[in-house]
Amino acid sequence: MGWEEIQVRGYSEFVRTAQSYHGRPIFALFCGDKDAEGKSWCPDCVTAEPIVRKELHNLPDESVFIYCLVGDRAYWKDPNNEFRRNLKLTGVPTLLKYGTPQKLVEEECFKAELVRMLFTED
Amino acid sequence: SVQAHKEEDGPQKTMEVNRFTPVPASYDYDLIVIGGGSGGLAAAKEAAKYEKKVMVLDFVTPTPQGSSWGLGGTCVNVGCIPKKLMHQAALLGQALQDSRKFGWQFTEEVKHNWMTMTESVQNYIGSLNWGYRVALRDTKVTYENAYGEFVGPHTIKATNKKGIEKLYTAERFIIATGERPRYLGIPGDKEYCISSDDLFSLPYCPGKTLVVGASYVALECAGFLAGLGLDVTVMVRSILLRGFDQDMANRIGEYMKEHGVNFIRKFVPIKVERVEEGTPGILKVTAKSTAGEQIIEGEYNTVLLAIGRDPCTRKIGLDKVGVNINEKTGKIPVNDAEQTNVPYIYAIGDILQDKLELTPVAIQAGRLLVRRLYAGATTKCDYVNVPTTVFTPLEYGACGYSEETAVEKFGEENIEVYHSHFWPLEWTVPSRDNNKCYAKIICNIQDNERVIGFHVLGPNAGEVTQGFAAAIKCGLTKEQLDSTVGIHPVCAEV
Repeated sequence: MGWEEIQVRGYSEFVRTAQSYHGRPIFALFCGDKDAEGKSWCPDCVTAEPIVRKELHNLPDESVFIYCLVGDRAYWKDPNNEFRRNLKLTGVPTLLKYGTPQKLVEEECFKAELVRMLFTED
Repeated sequence: SVQAHKEEDGPQKTMEVNRFTPVPASYDYDLIVIGGGSGGLAAAKEAAKYEKKVMVLDFVTPTPQGSSWGLGGTCVNVGCIPKKLMHQAALLGQALQDSRKFGWQFTEEVKHNWMTMTESVQNYIGSLNWGYRVALRDTKVTYENAYGEFVGPHTIKATNKKGIEKLYTAERFIIATGERPRYLGIPGDKEYCISSDDLFSLPYCPGKTLVVGASYVALECAGFLAGLGLDVTVMVRSILLRGFDQDMANRIGEYMKEHGVNFIRKFVPIKVERVEEGTPGILKVTAKSTAGEQIIEGEYNTVLLAIGRDPCTRKIGLDKVGVNINEKTGKIPVNDAEQTNVPYIYAIGDILQDKLELTPVAIQAGRLLVRRLYAGATTKCDYVNVPTTVFTPLEYGACGYSEETAVEKFGEENIEVYHSHFWPLEWTVPSRDNNKCYAKIICNIQDNERVIGFHVLGPNAGEVTQGFAAAIKCGLTKEQLDSTVGIHPVCAEV
């Protein structure tokens, strides 16, 4: 069946979407919001996104890739935002395998080898 | 010679031979480390710093109960880390009781949920497993989740869990395969008993537990299980904590007894049967006295064996390459440079004969060995005055000689022991024991009363001992200790 991508914005939409795909491997990339020209306020996210996208073809069959915009810079900087509190995210970009402790944070997302390892290995 | 297959690298490069360039004896790797535990990973990461081509092989043979775990070895998965976290869980239970005397008011009865604790602990361990894999990949160390064994000179066979075999060659090898819990060899032991390999990921609360053994593993596990509110019995064949200062060992045992742990001394199990299925079920244990013919029986939900650990050296093909092992214990004798009798094969960690079985020792040995191999260093691992801590309910920290060993080595008339009980300030208000915490130092009279042994029994023993270990390494004498002003009010000032 291959893999599919869902794009969401904000914490509630993310959780709803992840829950609806319960049972399938779920990978998620969290980035800062994009402006009208499609550019994110988060420079590391701008660097990471194309690198992650280039490795998506390695995703196992049946996987779901959730591309999640977390919010604007002010929301992200708030130490109590829901992503930090509930998902324990510490930075953007974060690429993770939902439901496992496996994740790559910030510059780790720049390394294609690590992204591939996250997507393909147990 | 042997062909090596590297699937990702594509077809084998042909080696050019001509009259001007000698053909190197080209191995697949500079270094292959067998075992991805504390020692193995430290050595591999260090070697990668010197741009060596390194491979780590790590494989966990599942326990008889089916437990398994990820990269990181015993300490991370089924040893120090989960043990300390569960010990902390038990201490927090005690703290909750104490807190009422300090004014905290809560009306609900405080209960413990095994699954909540275990899930949190396993989650943390999972993040460590992942962290190691990222670190290895990032430093270009090849990691294979496969069982490594020697098949010939400079050659090992790696078998993954699907049974697929690959051969690899290396210039040098480090064996860091560690140990696994020993079983009793009695009917029912493998079918019904668990070990520390199973305990920290047990998917149900163990309930009423019999711990067989008197090792620090046995006492630490019995200690935190009792601290979480479970009915715990420890069955001891002879003495507690063999190899440790016996006066301290007995104080630990007394404290545990007074705080709800049952002890059955001088008995060994001879049979374990299942009375009732379930998670947990009910097991019946039959035991025989070591001092006579008396037989006793008891029923428990869980039987935890902690009678010792055996090195994983019997099935890794050491005979194929001529590495000597101690046939009786399985341990590998090495020189002071961690080299086996085969010059290109080294060994580190718990499998070494006559060396301390501690994570920091394995890490230090691994790093120093690699620096000597690839960075021209000469420093060898110092195995003397290594501090340790046993995380029983009353923690015990030690560095240097036990009283018995000091007497044996220096003679009773040449050593002086200074000791003191102390009552931690934090224990006063909640009326906890005022005569249990204890500290002693053993001094060598003939050497300026140099401190050759340090022992402390009390809260945060590990934190207290670490600093004193550094002082002992610098040659601390009684006079220097006396002239050091204490910090008040802390236990360490004693």
